[in-house]
Amino acid sequence: MLLGSAVAGYAWTLRAQRRQLERLLDAADAKLERLQRQFERFVPSDLVERLTDVGDELKPARRYVTILFADLRGFTALCDRLDPAVTVDILNGYFGHMIEAITQHHGHVTELVGDGLLALFGALQPNPWQARDAVLSALAMRSALARYNQTLLARQLPELRFGIGIHAGEVIAGIIGTGALSKFSVTGDPINVASRVEGLTSAMQVDLLITEVIRDRLGDDFDLAPMPATLVKGKAAPIRTWTVRADAVR
Amino acid sequence: MALLLDEIAWSEPLLAADPDPAWTAELKRRGAHVFEVDRRVAASPWLREAAYSVTSYVPSEISERQLHMGAMIIAQENACRYCYGANRAYMKVLGYSESFIQNIERDVHVAEMDAKERAAIAFCRNLSRSRPRPARDTIDQLVGLGFTRLQVNEMAFLIAFGCFYNRLATLMACPPERSFEAMANGPVGRLLGLVVPLWGRLTHAGARRASTDVPLEATALKAGPFGSVVALLAGLPAARIMKAALDGAFDLPLISRPAKALMFAVVARTLDCGYCEGEAAQLLADEGVDAAEFDIAMDTLGSTRLRPDENAMVAWTRETVSYETAAIQRQTRSLGAGLNRAVLLEAIGVAALANATVRLAMLRE
Repeated sequence: MLLGSAVAGYAWTLRAQRRQLERLLDAADAKLERLQRQFERFVPSDLVERLTDVGDELKPARRYVTILFADLRGFTALCDRLDPAVTVDILNGYFGHMIEAITQHHGHVTELVGDGLLALFGALQPNPWQARDAVLSALAMRSALARYNQTLLARQLPELRFGIGIHAGEVIAGIIGTGALSKFSVTGDPINVASRVEGLTSAMQVDLLITEVIRDRLGDDFDLAPMPATLVKGKAAPIRTWTVRADAVR
Repeated sequence: MALLLDEIAWSEPLLAADPDPAWTAELKRRGAHVFEVDRRVAASPWLREAAYSVTSYVPSEISERQLHMGAMIIAQENACRYCYGANRAYMKVLGYSESFIQNIERDVHVAEMDAKERAAIAFCRNLSRSRPRPARDTIDQLVGLGFTRLQVNEMAFLIAFGCFYNRLATLMACPPERSFEAMANGPVGRLLGLVVPLWGRLTHAGARRASTDVPLEATALKAGPFGSVVALLAGLPAARIMKAALDGAFDLPLISRPAKALMFAVVARTLDCGYCEGEAAQLLADEGVDAAEFDIAMDTLGSTRLRPDENAMVAWTRETVSYETAAIQRQTRSLGAGLNRAVLLEAIGVAALANATVRLAMLRE
């Protein structure tokens, strides 16, 4: 009987320990999930998943990516006239619309700097249709901005205008920075070119410019107009660009 | 991150039930249950047979336990509310404990499994996701752990066809089998969970039901679209199922053959499967589409040779490879707005089959 009581007591202890372990596991699981969800606000969810699953396998690599730069025109001057809270509210609304247009077309926004954004296509996963996706994104951004401007006008706020530059090329992609401050990003000459091309939109009085490498990958589906070849900083030869007038035609 | 059952957003059905009394009677004659999916695919001869094959498949090489665990994991990976709920409930009825099910759906490392079973579950997750597709060393690793090559092939088929069925249910937004789920999670389910395993031990004692079908010859398997992929299943009952699905899908004229081949090519390119893209290019060449035209069609996700609705299907097919459930159901609803029911059903079936075929082709690499 004594042995029986000891066995029963041991079984009860084991059961209690098992329940405690299960509770601990549930709590750890819920915490990890919350952490992942929070982390996804700052970096693409695909990247969070890969970092969680493969750990340190996300090594820096050369990748062919398409880069989209977008910048608001005249927004700095506008900031001086508006209440800071209103300015931030306008910007947040703008970024919300733009990010949605980009993610719907397989891109991800990697940087928000002031009123500018940098989006990449094909950086996290190989994407055979990255040039097309970037241009479709830009066209969706154009439509989204028109819709957003309607809401701004209704609130008696000034309309926004943007410039977008799209280019592609081989970059180095990876986690860049130190332990204290690091992020997934890309570096390389094509990034600078995309930024310069975005800068040309103002002078050429268009909202969207693509380079020759992008045009060559689009086929005949888009209504394009050639722009004058222009010399940009850091390039010996002038860059040829096209503006995209309309959606894919088929 | 694989979602848990209640985290999956699921829209209202995209296709209403459209049961065919003759097919319902036939399923009952075969001793099968008529599921919500069966009620929606009854109008397509190849699709209804393929759907029935998934739910009635008896593995010849792998264990029933691997089949059940794998089916649930694949449905979870594909965030298919319909299949995940049904498979989870089925496991309860078969006597798997709630804690065991929770462990494998949250973290395979804490479930009571050996290294072989863990590797098999990891294979299910990796091939379902295919981002990137598992490489040749995955198969070598499974063989190294003691699986035979035929077992690996059967696992790959079940994963691929699981992905097929998950896509059918997801793209149609098939309503979950709620009454079955409620039964399995209630007192009746608990009782069945005690009786069914006992009954299984008393009646079969591990015996397998042998397929009565005569295996098809290798040459017969290789004939037809993606025959070389089908031939990888030689020696398995799965081979006949895969061949019937592919032949049936390419024979039905609701969507033109070039459009279907292009849909397969798009899935192949998205998953970086050069072999399947080549096979699709050959199918298109047989239809008079030369290499230059194929390249343009692939770059632009469409062709002037196709009808406008077919071009929309080709572009949409790309989205069916990796998706967020709510988004793909929205996109499918939008595609369906311009199509009649039969054509939408066929598009869903072809896209689902393309995803299965290209994942299965991983066995060649």
